[in-house]
Amino acid sequence: MTVWTYRGWLLPLVLLGAAELSIRISGIESLGIALPSDVGRALVQIAGDGTAFIHTWETLAAMLLGLLIGGSVGICLGIFLGLSRLASWTSSLAIELFRPIPPVAIIPIALLIYGFGVRMEAAIIAFTAFWPMLLLTQSAVESVDRQLIEVARVLQLSRLKSVTSIILPAILPRVLTALRLTVGIAFIVAITTEIAVNPLGLGHAMMLAQMELRPSFMYAYVVWLAVLGWVINTGLLLLQKRMFGAMRIEVRR
Amino acid sequence: MRRSPFASLLWYLAPVLFALSIFGLWAVVTELGLVKKIFLPPPVDVFVNLWKGMIEGNLLQLTGATLLRMFYGWVLASAAGIFIGTLIGLSETARAWLTPTLELLRPLPASTLLPIGIALFGLNANMLLAVIAFGAIWPVLLATVDGFRFIEPRLKEVAAILGISRFSFAFKFGLPSAAPDILSGMRLSLTACLIITVIGEIVTAQDGLGTAIILAARSYRSVDLFAGVVLLGAVGFLNNALLSALRRALLPWQKT
Amino acid sequence: MTTSNMPAISFDRVSLSIANRKIIDDVSFEVSKGEFVCVVGPSGCGKTTLLRMVIGLAQPNDGEVRRFGQPVTGPVRDVAVVFQDYGRALLPWRTAAGNVALALEAAGTPKAERADTIASLLEKVGLRGHGDKYPGQLSGGMQQRVQIARCLAQQPGILLMDEPFGALDAMTRQTLQDEIAEIVAGTGTTVMFVTHDIDEAIYLGDRVVQLDANPGRVAEISDVSLARPRDQISSREAPEFLRLRHVLFAHIERSAHP
Repeated sequence: MTVWTYRGWLLPLVLLGAAELSIRISGIESLGIALPSDVGRALVQIAGDGTAFIHTWETLAAMLLGLLIGGSVGICLGIFLGLSRLASWTSSLAIELFRPIPPVAIIPIALLIYGFGVRMEAAIIAFTAFWPMLLLTQSAVESVDRQLIEVARVLQLSRLKSVTSIILPAILPRVLTALRLTVGIAFIVAITTEIAVNPLGLGHAMMLAQMELRPSFMYAYVVWLAVLGWVINTGLLLLQKRMFGAMRIEVRR
Repeated sequence: MRRSPFASLLWYLAPVLFALSIFGLWAVVTELGLVKKIFLPPPVDVFVNLWKGMIEGNLLQLTGATLLRMFYGWVLASAAGIFIGTLIGLSETARAWLTPTLELLRPLPASTLLPIGIALFGLNANMLLAVIAFGAIWPVLLATVDGFRFIEPRLKEVAAILGISRFSFAFKFGLPSAAPDILSGMRLSLTACLIITVIGEIVTAQDGLGTAIILAARSYRSVDLFAGVVLLGAVGFLNNALLSALRRALLPWQKT
Repeated sequence: MTTSNMPAISFDRVSLSIANRKIIDDVSFEVSKGEFVCVVGPSGCGKTTLLRMVIGLAQPNDGEVRRFGQPVTGPVRDVAVVFQDYGRALLPWRTAAGNVALALEAAGTPKAERADTIASLLEKVGLRGHGDKYPGQLSGGMQQRVQIARCLAQQPGILLMDEPFGALDAMTRQTLQDEIAEIVAGTGTTVMFVTHDIDEAIYLGDRVVQLDANPGRVAEISDVSLARPRDQISSREAPEFLRLRHVLFAHIERSAHP
């Protein structure tokens, strides 16, 4: 309601101001520390000359490609496993065995096969995105109201038709939620891969700034990454809300 | 529906048979040369090499180093995250002042701490541990704050009626109510710890599984690489088992 | 103490408005010490709000609510509350015994005495042998018994009950009605029992306060001169019961079709 409601935003501002002042007064020189005002200038520079946008695009392209492959395979298999008790039971042990492999373990394999580049990063993201999409889609299908499935029987719909017209709409909200979670994980894995090995994207730009001993640019990329992460998550939340809104209208019709 | 004894045996064995058939397919594909051995070595070679590496080589030692780093980081992160999260969660004032700052830091991938850590403290083992702990603190801290925020309002009234002190409220109402959230946070945190540990080893060249597998990949020793991947998979598997055991022990009132 | 002759609860010209809407309008009545008073009325008559004022979780805009002559300032341990939503009022991570223990811990009862007290309280509410079960493992009726036991552990001077049996099935409700009447009879506790069920109010109360809705007002206060202990069959067939029932329902009819 009042300005007081936003008092929490004072803290980051005060911290930044305090950092600026203390660094200026103490005259400290370190490769790990930068004046907030310098970080601001660096931020303006990387945004102004387009480098930040190029790196953002590199990261996002790898994310999109990986999500597209891993996500769609995950969803399809998830629907299949959700519909068939036999299939889900048969694959349960294999899933238990392969799912715990951490995405970072895939980094060297992808490196070995593809070398540096977008394909290698996309492969890692595809592997990462595959598991949550598979498991969350499967549990979404399993929790579809039995009555809806009976409706499909009563209407004597074909298997394919009942999936497209009954199962898919029913699981859509939960799949979207799963997608939002998965995109968040993919973002983390993309940046991590770039920091660890892959010479492209925002993670690498940040790592490069550190190696070139330009802390202000390193922190500028940190700020950029935080904002990007926030924009992605908020954007997907909004999308989800809009689609729910649309669905409700359709139901009423 | 009754099945014949043979059919029900087949039913129970199906998961094992399927898992084995994946390894079988892997073996066939590599032995027939459909996939270059340098990209995907035959499973037998991988497991023989894994066995040798553990018995004769230093693979166990490397795994131990990685595990220890991950575990220390996780314990530090969990303890600090629960403590700070409780302090923030209990106080309306602290929440109002700190929530925006926490929300600003939430979307930041933990691995961005690595370059910052290197820039501030240089390449060394303690820096890596600090980065692991600090990077993994957020899921626990945020989950704890959330857990406290969503305490059933009716229970707050019960506490007020019984005249329960703020301190006992934290222990008797707050923490148990937040426990499921905290455990979910700790699960995320453990995953984050494993990720940061492995890439931290890669970036800072500390001895450990991460360094071992990336070196194997760079020198095209794919058998060594896959042995390392199997070990990392085993670590992930053990982590899941640990968390499930912890959940059962700490949340006996929750049905699976 | 002079407070001993004071009424346990008194509403003195209490009014409450929220956002310019009158919720409660000039309510006055008293509950004597040891009396069992039922407050009955349709939804929207503010009966739960009146109860929350006695606890100290809600404050009137006008008038005053007093406990034993003292204005209410906030919750105290001497006032116990049985909420309707037992599922939310119990600690799911504590067993039945643990939930009862909570009240003893809060009161600072020495550890050594707790086990016996808990056992006898659980026995009293018919939960012997269920002490180590979690609320999630108990039926609704049993969970409500746990809540009642926890309230008894407070040894309250005033027991407030907010539609405590509203969410239970008819059989369980009747059993619990008889049990609560029996438990309270022995202790001299003052009870304010809020319900929307007129039959329940007559069956349990020494007096019934009937409220009108929108805004909440006292419509009628009736003495119930049914002998105690009461009985689910004969008391409900007694002429006095039927007379009161007629009076209370007639009022509802009149206010619904003026």
